[in-house]
Amino acid sequence: MTDREAFVAGEIVRIAREELKVEEPPAPGDSLAAKLDSMSLLALVVAVEDRFHVILTEDDAARTQTLEDLARLVASRAPEDRLLAAAPPGASP
Amino acid sequence: MSPNTHPAILSVGRALPPHHVDADTLIAALSTYWARKHFNVDRLAGIHRAAQVGGRHLALPLAEYAALDSFGKCNDAFIRVGAEIGEEAVRSGLAAAGLSPADVDHLWFVTVTGISTPSLDAKLANRLGLKPGVKRTPVFGLGCMAGAAGVARASDVLRAFPGEVAVMLSVELCSLTLQRDDASITNVVATGLFGDGAAAVVMAGGARFDGAPVPRVPRIQATRSVLYPETEWVMGWDVVDTGLKVVLSAKVPEVVEAHVGEDVDAFLAEHGLARGDVRHWIAHTGGPKVLEAFRRGLGLPEAAVERSWRSLREIGNLSSASVLFVLGDLLESGEARPGDVGVLAAMGPGFSAELVLLRW
Repeated sequence: MTDREAFVAGEIVRIAREELKVEEPPAPGDSLAAKLDSMSLLALVVAVEDRFHVILTEDDAARTQTLEDLARLVASRAPEDRLLAAAPPGASP
Repeated sequence: MSPNTHPAILSVGRALPPHHVDADTLIAALSTYWARKHFNVDRLAGIHRAAQVGGRHLALPLAEYAALDSFGKCNDAFIRVGAEIGEEAVRSGLAAAGLSPADVDHLWFVTVTGISTPSLDAKLANRLGLKPGVKRTPVFGLGCMAGAAGVARASDVLRAFPGEVAVMLSVELCSLTLQRDDASITNVVATGLFGDGAAAVVMAGGARFDGAPVPRVPRIQATRSVLYPETEWVMGWDVVDTGLKVVLSAKVPEVVEAHVGEDVDAFLAEHGLARGDVRHWIAHTGGPKVLEAFRRGLGLPEAAVERSWRSLREIGNLSSASVLFVLGDLLESGEARPGDVGVLAAMGPGFSAELVLLRW
């Protein structure tokens, strides 16, 4: 992963652990569907959209299996100001 | 015990609040709240639509929900509207059964969407003019299962007092529990799924028919409660300063599908029956995934739960009242024939299930 992708992956893990209270967040190569139940996965996708101001479609979901896949996709679309080390004030809109 | 000595279900009165909103209207209103916390509001609208509830009846006009900024205000609305539609449901049920309020010996009241002391059944006893000696049993906390469980417990009492009449009333105003500041996925799912309504099951002990023509109504042949150990986390309420915040695990359909088949089989076998003997499946309208889990767990064709699906699409999940709406619809359809067997089933917090065996 690039630094940018690694940063996004780290943020996704942080969101899963801190905001969604997932006890064992996925590792980069883990299948997201295998690690999270459907409600948690949906909550994670919504939280990632909120944090990075991206929109993930059904087609995206179909080709996103692992945390690494998701990080790459988000890193390629997120506006620069959303890729700062600290989330902009009010990670939500 | 011969079949005709079992308690009978005479009718199911139903009442919906007058404020109907379709899914698009509700989504437009909720989007204002969602947009404060989420970037992709369309996704939340999609989650809301996934419940497949086309519209629902609300306790209050949509515009009045904005003023409900405390548990107290929500609960005041619950007491006021609950008494109105509860009374309407009971009167409707009694009229359909050819009975009057003075005939009621037992009033059971179940809810999980509001509280009061005296409980709402006391208020209703006064509004309806029930006799002062009416025996009241309010039940809070069984959630979606309470309609089935209330019927089951009332039938237990009618076995002990076979000459008496019981009304089992469910009032659920789920919309008044909406936590507007909770933009979690669980809350979005819940707002997509739940609606408001009341249902009153009018029941009579077997001795009420001594010497009288026996009406074509279902008798409650048996009931069974099932509590699944160590599953308290699956669903329920977190009681917070602003009211009742929903707990709803994605595991609900999984738990239902894993257990419903063996539980129903064991229950039926105690009475010399098997799944194939059941002509009417009266299933709680838990939601698309729960209904499908119920159907798959029992290996039923889609048509077997179509009545529940229709109810879900038309009015949403009314918590404990839902399965009673489905039962009332079946009774009024005239589809059941003498000798038919039915199973009424609902699941709820505990996690638990209640099964009621009916025979026409």
